[in-house]
Amino acid sequence: MSWRVTEVPAVLELRGVTKSYDGDPPIEVLKGIDLTIEEGELVAIVGPSGSGKSTLLNMMGALDRPTSGDVLIDGAVVNGLGDSSLSGVRGRRLGFVFQQFHLLAGLTATENVATGLLYHGSSARERKAQAREALTRVGLGHRLDQKPGKLSGGERQRVAIARALLGDPAIVLADEPTGNLDSTTTGEIVELFLELNQQGSTIVMITHDPDLARSMPRVVEILDGEIRLDQVATS
Amino acid sequence: MTELATAPNHRSRLRLVDVVSQALLGLTSRKLRTALTALGISIGIASLISIQGITEANQAEARAEIDALGSDFLFITAGTGITEEAELLPYAPDMLETHLDALEYVAALYPVDARARKNELIPEVQTGGVTVSAITSTGLDLLEPVNGSVAFGRFHDATSVEVPGVVLGSLAAERLGIRHLVGHPTINISGHQFAVIGVLNEFETLNTDLNRTAIVGLSVAQELFDTPDTPSAIYAQVQPEQLDEARDLIPAQANPAAPGEVAVSRPTEALEIREVIDETFARILQALALIVLAVGGIGIANIMVISVIERRGEIGLRRSLGATRKHIASQFVIESTMLSLLGGVLGVVIGVGIVLGYAQYKSFAAVIPWYWLSVGVAAAFALGAIAGLYPAWRASRLEPAEAVRPAA
Repeated sequence: MSWRVTEVPAVLELRGVTKSYDGDPPIEVLKGIDLTIEEGELVAIVGPSGSGKSTLLNMMGALDRPTSGDVLIDGAVVNGLGDSSLSGVRGRRLGFVFQQFHLLAGLTATENVATGLLYHGSSARERKAQAREALTRVGLGHRLDQKPGKLSGGERQRVAIARALLGDPAIVLADEPTGNLDSTTTGEIVELFLELNQQGSTIVMITHDPDLARSMPRVVEILDGEIRLDQVATS
Repeated sequence: MTELATAPNHRSRLRLVDVVSQALLGLTSRKLRTALTALGISIGIASLISIQGITEANQAEARAEIDALGSDFLFITAGTGITEEAELLPYAPDMLETHLDALEYVAALYPVDARARKNELIPEVQTGGVTVSAITSTGLDLLEPVNGSVAFGRFHDATSVEVPGVVLGSLAAERLGIRHLVGHPTINISGHQFAVIGVLNEFETLNTDLNRTAIVGLSVAQELFDTPDTPSAIYAQVQPEQLDEARDLIPAQANPAAPGEVAVSRPTEALEIREVIDETFARILQALALIVLAVGGIGIANIMVISVIERRGEIGLRRSLGATRKHIASQFVIESTMLSLLGGVLGVVIGVGIVLGYAQYKSFAAVIPWYWLSVGVAAAFALGAIAGLYPAWRASRLEPAEAVRPAA
């Protein structure tokens, strides 16, 4: 037995990632992105429409493969993985929150959150127990058995956030999570992200709203497929 | 670059019970659509089963009737007279038996040119379609070859054929208002009183002509109405192995002038022919039912394709939650299969219901076509799986990054 100092790999790392779409000439959406997210960070990625921030999130979330460059999750390159392994990485290491919530209309809040563990192969009982816990964590302990139709926009997004937290992912990726919400609710959701981050969750949030981005500890500004600014707030 | 190791193997796993529960979820969250889509399959399967069940019940009934009739009777009629004179010789009944060892005479019917009425007060034209026929004292076993039976009263005997007595078919009795024999009812045949001595049960499939016939004795008819002694029909019995020989020889004996006109048939032949026709008809209908089933399958494929388009977001979400392409594909194939099976089971229930209802209505023995029941369910299963293949393939090919975005 020997003591070994191992460098803890970054939770997520992009190395020279580019993405082009077919066309004449090809459209280059990302032009060589280098970005590292460490464990415990809360990062806002901000940029106007068409800046490439959604494509960036697709790369970070292994929802799409880069044209060149590497995506590393827990220090391991994932862009070369096959569908099965890549799906496994998404399911086990990443949590997603979408602008349009993507809740299943026929399921209660608890059942919706429980789908977060569906592709882990855990039992229904275990999934529900964890789902109830996660819902309580996001402040919806009193709405466990409501279906999405009976929930407000803010509540729906909280359900989606609870679902993303299930299975303890390395990183939660939120794509315009407040895009469909009014300003009061937006404030509440941002508050929730800050709170979850303080409890230890690593979160990346994409937004087009510079004010909202400024309330985050770290802001990455993207324009025309390139990172223009990567600023850590000094507080 | 030591950190460029391959990723630890994070594998997605979906329990079998969850594969089924997710497919069920797709069906239960769209109940009306599920019901309407399944209906196409239901109609196809229900038709398939009920057609088979009804045909089998009819055939069982026909076979029972053939057995009751026996296959050794022959029915000799004068024919239609389209080409030559249709007539059976007056002495045909006796001669057939004398000349053909194989044959045994049973009975003959002689047409009587007379009108039956309830009484003299009713005009002669209002005979209600009742025909009059006569039998002789040697033809008292008429009911045997025609598989008839007496409803009330009795059939003719050696005495009654010599006096003005009449036996009525069921319809004839109804037309003439004879419902019982209390008070010794009589009817009027062309001005002469005849005592009603019996009424026959209804002939349901064969010899239905006898339902509207009033049967009197030939000697009485000859005396009162000048009835000629040329029979319209002769019933005979023949040994089955000599049937063909008898058939060849009878026409020349019965009407030497126009042997081609004489029709020789077995009463059971009509039933056998009907059985074949029923069978053919059932096959045609079942072919149509199969087409309905195929259309139902196309309906499922169609609705599943639409479902995939509508549920892009759901597919994207599932992919982000760790679903592999195979998980997505299996979800849609199983959803489609369960949708079709639902229709199949419903169709079986409806089909069996129709078969039982028909048997009840006809007071037949119900025949449940088990073979077709299993064929129906298996067909629904296969159809659903096949119909789901293309939509499932499309769903699995959706790029997760595309699917999670709102439709443009």
